Amino acid sequence: MTAIKLENVCYAYEADGDKAAVNAVDGVSLEIEEGAFVAVVGHNGSGKSTLARLLNGLLLPDKGSVTVFGTDTRDEKNIYNVRSSVGMVFQNPDNQMVASVVEDDIAFGPENLGLQREEIIRRVDWALEQVGMSEYRKSTPFRMSGGQKQRLAIAGVLAIRPKVLVLDESTAMLDPKGRREVMDVIHALNKREKMSVIHITHYMEEVLEADRVIVMDGGRIALDDAPHAVFARGAELKKFRLAPPAVTLIADALAECGADIPRSVTTEEELEEAICRSLSKD
Amino acid sequence: MRDVAFGQYYPVSSPVHRLDPRLKIIFTVLYIVTMFFVASYFGYALVLIFLLSVCGVAHVPPKAMFKSIKGVIILLMITAVLNLFFYAGETSVEWTWWIFTVSPEAIDFALKMMFRLILLIMGTTILTFTTGTSELTDAIESLFKPLNLIKIPVRDIALIMSIALRFIPGLIEETDKIMMAQKARGADMESGNVFKRIKAMLPVIIPVFVSAFRKADELADALDARCYQASPKRTKMKKMSFAWRDLVAFLIFAAFVTIIFLDKYLWGGLDKYIVEAFNALIG
Repeated sequence: MTAIKLENVCYAYEADGDKAAVNAVDGVSLEIEEGAFVAVVGHNGSGKSTLARLLNGLLLPDKGSVTVFGTDTRDEKNIYNVRSSVGMVFQNPDNQMVASVVEDDIAFGPENLGLQREEIIRRVDWALEQVGMSEYRKSTPFRMSGGQKQRLAIAGVLAIRPKVLVLDESTAMLDPKGRREVMDVIHALNKREKMSVIHITHYMEEVLEADRVIVMDGGRIALDDAPHAVFARGAELKKFRLAPPAVTLIADALAECGADIPRSVTTEEELEEAICRSLSKD
Repeated sequence: MRDVAFGQYYPVSSPVHRLDPRLKIIFTVLYIVTMFFVASYFGYALVLIFLLSVCGVAHVPPKAMFKSIKGVIILLMITAVLNLFFYAGETSVEWTWWIFTVSPEAIDFALKMMFRLILLIMGTTILTFTTGTSELTDAIESLFKPLNLIKIPVRDIALIMSIALRFIPGLIEETDKIMMAQKARGADMESGNVFKRIKAMLPVIIPVFVSAFRKADELADALDARCYQASPKRTKMKKMSFAWRDLVAFLIFAAFVTIIFLDKYLWGGLDKYIVEAFNALIG
């Protein structure tokens, strides 16, 4: 089933002084299936964050339409249905928290929805468990690591029980360990809870873990394919100012020299295995 | 991150911490009012004993309570000196030197006023020592709920308060960072007179403001994304309810207030009896 459908969507920010309004998102059509893990990449100003904000009605399209589980985001009466089905996590975890105690912050979403007390408590428990932070229920987030804070921000969004999770560069401010923590959490949600994930990122290693990658350039979709197919394009990626991850580069280089390495390897383990296999064959 | 002790909350578990925060706010207000009815030194001693016992039950070191006066000590001194020399009531004896006139009544008045201020500050800090900021905002929200009837958005105001409190440490950290960045580029913020120093703060204040607005933008998006205002009837996860310990606290507090009022209106200040008894004792 289609979770989100975009049809020829255009969006321009208001003209700023003498700069004319340019479409930040320019004629994007796209369908996202339920349960998919989609990575969105593109250099700064390619329109990826604008695209993200169009998905849950924070921004409304100038032209075209965004449909979330059959509801148009411009339908004002149902905007909160849209926002509760598409949860959004932002870049800086510090700017997403409203309360100084973990459980109060996570309860914010369900409280807004006007749920019963027991249901709110159940959801807070569930959300904390999903991100592996149950023991921090009563603590304050001030002294936590970036990865922990971002996991809490995810829990805060999970508590509204979205079917789609949009992460707008949510790993950009984290150290490698924090990034891994967040990636593990969203992979688990994708597999266990069948949640669709739309992950906007700069890190190509993270892109490799997705089922599908969308490359944005100048507000349009430049490429839309499986990660290995996108990275197999090699030099063409430079046009979009993207650098393939090391694993892909090594595999490509080895394959070019005649080694029997499939171009679809995405992880270090796969690469290692492929190299061993090709060596033992000789 | 710098640990900003806003109101210096003492995160320990005690019966006072567990009291209903609404009750604690009401107690504090009543305490402030009661302080203006304390009539004798006996009364002030009683207040001090009361505060110290509350500290004991709350597992808050009394030293922390006394420390709270440090910030206002200059103000206290000025008040005491002014009261001492400009006492306008009736006086029995007067000692005059140059333009200064001092009387026993003035000394009495100045001392009492100083005790009153000190005890006022110490008493109110117990509230912030034993109550977390989120509890405080929840309690204020609950206490002001009747204002909803005249269309005052109490819930929103409480949310604004809690967000403001939550962002204070972040903004202080940001200010520190920007100050260091400006110092690294050769800004001089520590020398010169007051005006020069205020002017030197400008390159710090402007980036802090810009960053605060940026944070506010992102926060607004985050609030919207989490369905803020989705339902006209927002619910609450935390329920505040009275327990037996609240009743006990109420009775103790009521007894304390009663003695203070008895001292003023019935006994007319126990001091004179104590002085008499003391005089009788020594001879």
